[in-house]
Amino acid sequence: MHELSIAMSLVDTICEELPKLGAVVVRAVHVRIGALSGVVPDALTFAFDVAADGSRIAGARLDVECTQGRELELAALEVVDEPANR
Amino acid sequence: MNPRIVEVRKDILKKNDVAAAALRRRFDATGLIVTSLVSSPGAGKTAFLERTLSMARARHRVAALVGDLATECDAERLRRSGVPVRQITTGTVCHLDAEMIERALGELTLADLDWLFIENVGNLVCPASYDLGEHRRAVLLSVTEGEDKPLKYPTIFNTADVAIVTKIDLAAAVDFDRDAVLRNIDSVRPGLDVLEVSAKTGEGLDRWLALLEQPVSDRTVESTA
Repeated sequence: MHELSIAMSLVDTICEELPKLGAVVVRAVHVRIGALSGVVPDALTFAFDVAADGSRIAGARLDVECTQGRELELAALEVVDEPANR
Repeated sequence: MNPRIVEVRKDILKKNDVAAAALRRRFDATGLIVTSLVSSPGAGKTAFLERTLSMARARHRVAALVGDLATECDAERLRRSGVPVRQITTGTVCHLDAEMIERALGELTLADLDWLFIENVGNLVCPASYDLGEHRRAVLLSVTEGEDKPLKYPTIFNTADVAIVTKIDLAAAVDFDRDAVLRNIDSVRPGLDVLEVSAKTGEGLDRWLALLEQPVSDRTVESTA
Protein backbone atom coordinates (compact mmCIF):
# COMPACT_ATOMS: atom_id res chain seq x y z
CA MET A 1 0.00 0.00 0.00
CA HIS A 2 2.38 2.62 -1.18
CA GLU A 3 -0.52 4.97 -1.89
CA LEU A 4 -1.17 5.07 1.86
CA SER A 5 2.37 6.34 2.52
CA ILE A 6 1.86 8.93 -0.21
CA ALA A 7 -1.56 9.90 1.19
CA MET A 8 0.00 10.38 4.63
CA SER A 9 2.71 12.59 3.12
CA LEU A 10 -0.03 14.53 1.34
CA VAL A 11 -1.98 15.08 4.57
CA ASP A 12 1.24 16.20 6.31
CA THR A 13 2.03 18.59 3.46
CA ILE A 14 -1.46 20.11 3.63
CA CYS A 15 -1.37 20.46 7.42
CA GLU A 16 1.95 22.33 7.09
CA GLU A 17 0.25 24.78 4.71
CA LEU A 18 -2.79 25.43 6.89
CA PRO A 19 -1.27 27.92 9.35
CA LYS A 20 -0.54 30.24 6.40
CA LEU A 21 -4.22 30.31 5.46
CA GLY A 22 -5.75 31.42 8.72
CA ALA A 23 -8.94 29.90 10.11
CA VAL A 24 -10.24 27.85 7.20
CA VAL A 25 -11.98 24.58 6.53
CA VAL A 26 -10.55 22.57 3.64
CA ARG A 27 -13.34 21.50 1.30
CA ALA A 28 -11.26 19.90 -1.42
CA VAL A 29 -7.69 19.01 -2.22
CA HIS A 30 -6.51 19.24 -5.81
CA VAL A 31 -3.56 17.02 -6.75
CA ARG A 32 -1.74 16.35 -10.00
CA ILE A 33 -0.64 12.77 -10.51
CA GLY A 34 1.63 11.95 -13.44
CA ALA A 35 1.20 8.76 -15.43
CA LEU A 36 4.85 7.93 -14.70
CA SER A 37 4.66 8.64 -10.97
CA GLY A 38 3.74 5.06 -10.15
CA VAL A 39 0.69 6.20 -8.18
CA VAL A 40 -2.78 4.88 -8.94
CA PRO A 41 -5.40 7.67 -8.58
CA ASP A 42 -8.18 5.37 -7.29
CA ALA A 43 -5.92 3.83 -4.67
CA LEU A 44 -4.74 7.28 -3.62
CA THR A 45 -8.31 8.53 -3.28
CA PHE A 46 -9.18 5.57 -1.06
CA ALA A 47 -6.02 5.98 1.02
CA PHE A 48 -6.54 9.74 1.34
CA ASP A 49 -9.83 9.31 3.23
CA VAL A 50 -8.09 6.92 5.63
CA ALA A 51 -5.07 9.18 6.06
CA ALA A 52 -7.15 12.34 6.52
CA ASP A 53 -9.46 10.78 9.09
CA GLY A 54 -8.82 12.36 12.48
CA SER A 55 -6.67 15.14 11.00
CA ARG A 56 -7.58 18.81 10.51
CA ILE A 57 -8.67 18.08 6.95
CA ALA A 58 -10.93 15.09 7.69
CA GLY A 59 -13.82 14.95 5.22
CA ALA A 60 -12.11 16.97 2.50
CA ARG A 61 -12.65 15.72 -1.05
CA LEU A 62 -9.68 14.67 -3.18
CA ASP A 63 -9.71 15.84 -6.80
CA VAL A 64 -7.13 14.09 -8.93
CA GLU A 65 -5.92 15.59 -12.20
CA CYS A 66 -4.05 12.99 -14.24
CA THR A 67 -1.05 14.33 -16.14
CA GLN A 68 1.59 12.84 -18.42
CA GLY A 69 4.82 13.24 -16.49
CA ARG A 70 6.22 12.08 -13.17
CA GLU A 71 4.70 14.78 -10.99
CA LEU A 72 3.10 14.07 -7.67
CA GLU A 73 1.93 17.51 -6.70
CA LEU A 74 -0.39 19.15 -4.23
CA ALA A 75 -1.69 21.74 -6.67
CA ALA A 76 -4.32 23.69 -4.72
CA LEU A 77 -6.75 23.70 -1.82
CA GLU A 78 -10.40 24.70 -1.92
CA VAL A 79 -11.15 26.35 1.40
CA VAL A 80 -13.90 28.29 3.12
CA ASP A 81 -13.35 30.66 6.01
CA GLU A 82 -14.29 29.12 9.29
CA PRO A 83 -17.44 30.82 10.71
CA ALA A 84 -16.40 33.25 13.46
CA ASN A 85 -19.01 31.99 15.91
CA ARG A 86 -17.81 28.38 15.87
CA MET B 1 -19.67 31.50 2.50
CA ASN B 2 -17.90 31.24 -0.84
CA PRO B 3 -15.16 28.72 -1.22
CA ARG B 4 -11.86 30.04 -2.51
CA ILE B 5 -9.03 28.24 -4.23
CA VAL B 6 -5.57 28.58 -2.76
CA GLU B 7 -2.77 27.56 -5.07
CA VAL B 8 -0.11 25.54 -3.25
CA ARG B 9 1.97 23.67 -5.85
CA LYS B 10 4.01 21.54 -3.51
CA ASP B 11 5.62 18.21 -4.20
CA ILE B 12 3.80 15.59 -2.13
CA LEU B 13 6.99 13.63 -1.52
CA LYS B 14 9.00 16.78 -0.84
CA LYS B 15 9.88 15.54 2.62
CA ASN B 16 11.42 12.39 1.17
CA ASP B 17 13.14 14.33 -1.59
CA VAL B 18 14.61 16.78 0.92
CA ALA B 19 15.87 13.91 3.08
CA ALA B 20 17.28 12.16 -0.01
CA ALA B 21 19.05 15.32 -1.13
CA ALA B 22 20.61 15.68 2.33
CA LEU B 23 21.80 12.07 2.18
CA ARG B 24 23.30 12.61 -1.25
CA ARG B 25 25.20 15.64 0.05
CA ARG B 26 26.54 13.52 2.95
CA PHE B 27 27.62 10.79 0.54
CA ASP B 28 29.23 13.27 -1.82
CA ALA B 29 31.10 14.97 1.03
CA THR B 30 33.15 11.82 1.62
CA GLY B 31 33.15 10.59 -1.98
CA LEU B 32 30.98 7.59 -1.12
CA ILE B 33 29.24 6.05 -4.14
CA VAL B 34 25.81 4.58 -3.40
CA THR B 35 24.09 2.03 -5.59
CA SER B 36 20.59 0.70 -4.95
CA LEU B 37 19.10 -2.56 -6.20
CA VAL B 38 15.40 -2.99 -6.95
CA SER B 39 13.52 -6.00 -8.29
CA SER B 40 10.51 -8.19 -7.68
CA PRO B 41 10.82 -10.70 -4.82
CA GLY B 42 12.93 -13.67 -5.84
CA ALA B 43 14.77 -12.06 -8.75
CA GLY B 44 18.07 -12.76 -7.02
CA LYS B 45 19.02 -9.40 -5.48
CA THR B 46 20.59 -10.94 -2.40
CA ALA B 47 22.61 -13.61 -4.24
CA PHE B 48 23.78 -10.97 -6.71
CA LEU B 49 24.71 -8.61 -3.90
CA GLU B 50 26.55 -11.39 -2.02
CA ARG B 51 28.77 -11.97 -5.06
CA THR B 52 29.16 -8.24 -5.63
CA LEU B 53 30.28 -7.60 -2.04
CA SER B 54 32.71 -10.53 -2.06
CA MET B 55 34.31 -9.33 -5.28
CA ALA B 56 34.26 -5.61 -4.52
CA ARG B 57 35.82 -5.87 -1.08
CA ALA B 58 39.11 -6.96 -2.63
CA ARG B 59 39.68 -3.44 -3.94
CA HIS B 60 37.16 -1.22 -2.15
CA ARG B 61 35.78 -0.55 1.30
CA VAL B 62 32.14 -1.60 0.97
CA ALA B 63 29.02 -1.91 3.11
CA ALA B 64 25.37 -2.75 2.53
CA LEU B 65 21.90 -1.90 3.80
CA VAL B 66 19.16 -4.38 3.09
CA GLY B 67 15.41 -3.85 3.36
CA ASP B 68 12.72 -6.44 4.00
CA LEU B 69 9.33 -6.40 5.69
CA ALA B 70 10.60 -8.81 8.34
CA THR B 71 13.56 -11.03 9.38
CA GLU B 72 17.34 -10.59 9.46
CA CYS B 73 17.81 -13.42 6.94
CA ASP B 74 19.24 -11.33 4.14
CA ALA B 75 21.62 -9.41 6.40
CA GLU B 76 22.91 -12.69 7.82
CA ARG B 77 23.54 -14.00 4.31
CA LEU B 78 25.28 -10.81 3.21
CA ARG B 79 27.46 -10.66 6.34
CA ARG B 80 29.13 -13.87 5.19
CA SER B 81 30.91 -11.77 2.62
CA GLY B 82 32.70 -10.12 5.55
CA VAL B 83 31.49 -6.53 5.05
CA PRO B 84 29.35 -4.38 7.38
CA VAL B 85 25.65 -4.99 6.72
CA ARG B 86 22.61 -3.38 8.32
CA GLN B 87 19.13 -4.87 7.99
CA ILE B 88 16.20 -2.47 7.69
CA THR B 89 12.90 -4.12 8.59
CA THR B 90 10.04 -2.02 7.30
CA GLY B 91 7.15 -3.81 9.05
CA THR B 92 4.35 -3.49 6.54
CA VAL B 93 5.89 -0.75 4.41
CA CYS B 94 6.53 -1.94 0.87
CA HIS B 95 9.54 0.24 0.06
CA LEU B 96 12.52 1.97 1.65
CA ASP B 97 12.46 5.73 2.05
CA ALA B 98 15.21 8.26 2.68
CA GLU B 99 14.55 8.51 6.41
CA MET B 100 14.92 4.75 6.84
CA ILE B 101 18.29 4.97 5.10
CA GLU B 102 19.35 7.83 7.32
CA ARG B 103 18.47 5.87 10.48
CA ALA B 104 20.12 2.69 9.21
CA LEU B 105 23.38 4.49 8.46
CA GLY B 106 23.58 4.95 12.23
CA GLU B 107 27.03 4.14 13.41
CA LEU B 108 28.54 3.47 9.98
CA THR B 109 31.41 5.88 9.41
CA LEU B 110 30.81 7.02 5.87
CA ALA B 111 34.33 8.38 5.49
CA ASP B 112 35.61 4.80 5.93
CA LEU B 113 33.64 3.56 2.92
CA ASP B 114 34.05 3.73 -0.87
CA TRP B 115 30.86 1.99 -1.95
CA LEU B 116 27.52 1.49 -0.23
CA PHE B 117 24.86 -0.82 -1.62
CA ILE B 118 21.18 -0.59 -0.72
CA GLU B 119 18.98 -3.61 -1.41
CA ASN B 120 15.38 -2.40 -1.54
CA VAL B 121 12.32 -4.41 -0.53
CA GLY B 122 11.37 -6.85 -3.30
CA ASN B 123 8.79 -4.82 -5.19
CA LEU B 124 8.72 -3.41 -8.72
CA VAL B 125 6.10 -0.74 -7.98
CA CYS B 126 6.52 1.36 -4.86
CA PRO B 127 10.32 1.84 -4.71
CA ALA B 128 10.06 3.79 -7.98
CA SER B 129 8.59 6.79 -6.15
CA TYR B 130 11.23 7.09 -3.43
CA ASP B 131 14.62 8.71 -3.95
CA LEU B 132 17.07 7.19 -1.45
CA GLY B 133 19.93 9.55 -2.19
CA GLU B 134 21.59 6.88 -4.28
CA HIS B 135 23.83 7.72 -7.23
CA ARG B 136 22.91 4.72 -9.27
CA ARG B 137 19.80 2.55 -9.32
CA ALA B 138 19.96 -0.96 -10.76
CA VAL B 139 16.76 -2.81 -11.62
CA LEU B 140 17.11 -6.60 -11.64
CA LEU B 141 15.03 -8.97 -13.70
CA SER B 142 15.55 -12.75 -13.67
CA VAL B 143 15.24 -14.95 -16.74
CA THR B 144 12.54 -16.97 -14.97
CA GLU B 145 10.19 -14.01 -14.59
CA GLY B 146 9.07 -13.57 -18.17
CA GLU B 147 10.27 -11.18 -20.82
CA ASP B 148 7.33 -8.79 -20.47
CA LYS B 149 8.20 -7.46 -16.98
CA PRO B 150 9.62 -4.17 -18.34
CA LEU B 151 6.35 -3.54 -20.19
CA LYS B 152 4.26 -4.36 -17.12
CA TYR B 153 6.34 -2.22 -14.73
CA PRO B 154 7.66 0.62 -16.89
CA THR B 155 7.97 3.13 -14.03
CA ILE B 156 10.71 1.31 -12.18
CA PHE B 157 12.65 0.75 -15.42
CA ASN B 158 12.26 4.44 -16.12
CA THR B 159 13.92 5.42 -12.86
CA ALA B 160 16.80 2.95 -13.25
CA ASP B 161 20.32 3.65 -14.51
CA VAL B 162 21.08 0.07 -15.46
CA ALA B 163 19.05 -3.11 -15.95
CA ILE B 164 20.52 -6.44 -14.85
CA VAL B 165 19.21 -9.73 -16.18
CA THR B 166 19.95 -12.32 -13.49
CA LYS B 167 20.06 -16.14 -13.38
CA ILE B 168 21.37 -16.17 -16.95
CA ASP B 169 22.68 -19.70 -16.25
CA LEU B 170 19.02 -20.82 -16.36
CA ALA B 171 18.27 -19.10 -19.68
CA ALA B 172 18.23 -22.25 -21.80
CA ALA B 173 16.18 -24.23 -19.28
CA VAL B 174 13.36 -21.66 -19.29
CA ASP B 175 13.52 -20.83 -23.04
CA PHE B 176 14.48 -17.26 -22.17
CA ASP B 177 13.90 -14.96 -25.13
CA ARG B 178 16.87 -12.61 -24.88
CA ASP B 179 15.91 -10.48 -27.88
CA ALA B 180 12.41 -9.93 -26.50
CA VAL B 181 13.64 -8.74 -23.11
CA LEU B 182 16.19 -6.40 -24.67
CA ARG B 183 13.52 -5.03 -27.00
CA ASN B 184 11.07 -4.57 -24.11
CA ILE B 185 13.61 -2.78 -21.93
CA ASP B 186 14.57 -0.54 -24.82
CA SER B 187 10.94 0.31 -25.52
CA VAL B 188 10.31 1.60 -21.98
CA ARG B 189 13.75 3.16 -21.45
CA PRO B 190 15.63 3.64 -24.70
CA GLY B 191 19.38 3.35 -24.35
CA LEU B 192 19.38 1.85 -20.85
CA ASP B 193 22.50 -0.27 -20.20
CA VAL B 194 21.65 -3.95 -19.82
CA LEU B 195 23.96 -6.50 -18.20
CA GLU B 196 23.39 -10.26 -18.16
CA VAL B 197 24.74 -12.02 -15.11
CA SER B 198 24.71 -15.19 -13.08
CA ALA B 199 25.49 -14.97 -9.38
CA LYS B 200 25.93 -18.74 -9.46
CA THR B 201 28.54 -19.03 -12.21
CA GLY B 202 29.91 -15.50 -11.96
CA GLU B 203 29.13 -14.80 -15.61
CA GLY B 204 28.85 -11.07 -16.38
CA LEU B 205 29.97 -9.91 -12.95
CA ASP B 206 33.21 -8.50 -14.34
CA ARG B 207 31.15 -6.13 -16.51
CA TRP B 208 29.08 -5.12 -13.46
CA LEU B 209 32.21 -4.40 -11.42
CA ALA B 210 33.59 -2.39 -14.34
CA LEU B 211 30.36 -0.37 -14.44
CA LEU B 212 30.60 0.32 -10.71
CA GLU B 213 34.10 1.74 -11.28
CA GLN B 214 32.75 4.31 -13.74
CA PRO B 215 32.00 7.82 -12.50
CA VAL B 216 28.35 8.44 -11.67
CA SER B 217 26.16 11.07 -13.24
CA ASP B 218 24.06 13.40 -11.15
CA ARG B 219 20.71 11.72 -10.41
CA THR B 220 19.18 14.64 -8.58
CA VAL B 221 17.38 15.95 -11.64
CA GLU B 222 15.93 12.55 -12.48
CA SER B 223 14.21 11.67 -9.23
CA THR B 224 10.56 10.79 -9.58
CA ALA B 225 7.92 13.06 -8.19
